[in-house]
Amino acid sequence: MPDSFVQNRVPAAATTQCVEVIEVSKIYHGGTQNAVEAVSSVNFSVPHGQFVAILGPSGCGKSTLLMMVGGLEAVTTGRIEVDGSPMAGPRTSIGIMFQDSTLLPWKSALDNVLFPIKVLKRPVQEYHDNAHALLDRVGLYGFAQKKPHELSGGMRQRVSICRALVYEPNVLLMDEPFSALDAITRDEMNGLLLDLWQQYTKTALFVTHSIREAVMLADRVLVMTQRPATIVEDLTIPFARPREMSIGESREFNEICGHLRERIEHSHFEGRR
Amino acid sequence: MTVETAQSRALDLVPFGAAQFPSLRQLRPVLLPVATAGTVLLLWQAVCLVFRIPHVILPAPTEIAGELWRILPTLLKEAIPTTLDSVASFCLASGLGVGLAIVLTYSPLLRDTLYPNLVAFQLVPKVALAPLFVVWLGITSESRIAFSTFASFFPVVISAAVGFEGADASTLRLCRSLTATDWQSFRLVRFPFALPAIFSGMKIAMTMSVIGVIIGEFISAKAGLGFYILYASSRMETAAIFAALFVLCMIGAALYGAVALAERHVRRHYGRR
Repeated sequence: MPDSFVQNRVPAAATTQCVEVIEVSKIYHGGTQNAVEAVSSVNFSVPHGQFVAILGPSGCGKSTLLMMVGGLEAVTTGRIEVDGSPMAGPRTSIGIMFQDSTLLPWKSALDNVLFPIKVLKRPVQEYHDNAHALLDRVGLYGFAQKKPHELSGGMRQRVSICRALVYEPNVLLMDEPFSALDAITRDEMNGLLLDLWQQYTKTALFVTHSIREAVMLADRVLVMTQRPATIVEDLTIPFARPREMSIGESREFNEICGHLRERIEHSHFEGRR
Repeated sequence: MTVETAQSRALDLVPFGAAQFPSLRQLRPVLLPVATAGTVLLLWQAVCLVFRIPHVILPAPTEIAGELWRILPTLLKEAIPTTLDSVASFCLASGLGVGLAIVLTYSPLLRDTLYPNLVAFQLVPKVALAPLFVVWLGITSESRIAFSTFASFFPVVISAAVGFEGADASTLRLCRSLTATDWQSFRLVRFPFALPAIFSGMKIAMTMSVIGVIIGEFISAKAGLGFYILYASSRMETAAIFAALFVLCMIGAALYGAVALAERHVRRHYGRR
């Protein structure tokens, strides 16, 4: 019966909330071993247009949570609603960016960007200009015909950003998209994403294990911990947009980072006991 | 000194067919095997002359060359059915192999059912089954093609199945997030990713198809190079046997070369680099 209770409650809120995660748990039954609770009764909601970072140590279940929001993993209990309707599987209104760029090695940058259009059977010609504009926007002017092996790791990840944006999804889910990049390139990509966000404001969920990255990019940071795999803090980041990368040097920024670090370490320690 | 090395390096980079003469190092992959074969032929000739080995036991290379020239029209005529049957069974083996691999990839039930049996069946010496095909299908060309297909499709199944399984998991997840159909993700991702693997299976299948057809011709044919070799051996025409073997080698090399060339083309296009 709790299901119908939730359904009765939600419609009023659905107009403002884009993503709603209600009492979601995920339990893996690994063979004869005991069941592992990867995500444990998580609750949060994301209003339209907000950029939310899910911050946590590796293996705390944050990627699993993101994949459940994207409809790529089933929830064990609880429910997830996106744009007011419950998730039952992947949707084209949700774009996902993965840890690696997952470009097709035999296709040019442009064709890789247009790949979703092809899969969705939309008229590819109509999206050509859009794809080119996106590539220009992320600084890949003149690289449209290059194959992935001719591009650097950062460039490949830029192509995959374009690919996630080209078909205009309402929600963008990013699963540690820059964790495979070196620190300098990563900073560069953060700057680019900040910039892009000014133009293409979308609802976004961004999973990361970098505290600075989370504070730099997000309007709100959710801290997730292991044992139990749940959200222990929901912090609004006070910096206005447009943001400059230079906010990273401010005292306030570093204080927020310090607080979050303490929160993660504390709950990590608590969990061990 | 440095200028010289730079120059020789530049020479290495010059593509084949450029104005410069290819250097010795570039020719090595061609020169070494040719020189080895030439030396063996010379030794062979010398041994035949010095020890006066009877022609019926081991004719000298020059004799074989003469015989080859004399009976070339006959050999070429006999080569036609052998070549056609080989190509036919290769095509069937490739199609059947890839088809079966698709079934094994997409149906776990059939994979669990068929795969162990398929592997176990490979332990049966296939040559020993050739007479059965005569019993079942008679002494027609179709019977030999069937046997040869049966003998050569296995490597295609295995390598194609491995290729389909090895397709990049996160790219397939991307397809799923874009609500791609099974057919789309197969056509756009799995199949192109598997092409290099499929081709390595097809190269083995090509050589095995020729072997299969020759075995078939040994048993049942009234034409073909396999038949001709048996016929020549019954008349103790050893030089003719060698001449037929030579033509057979050429056909095998040409067919294998065609597949290898196609593979190189595909690898250049689809290989992951």
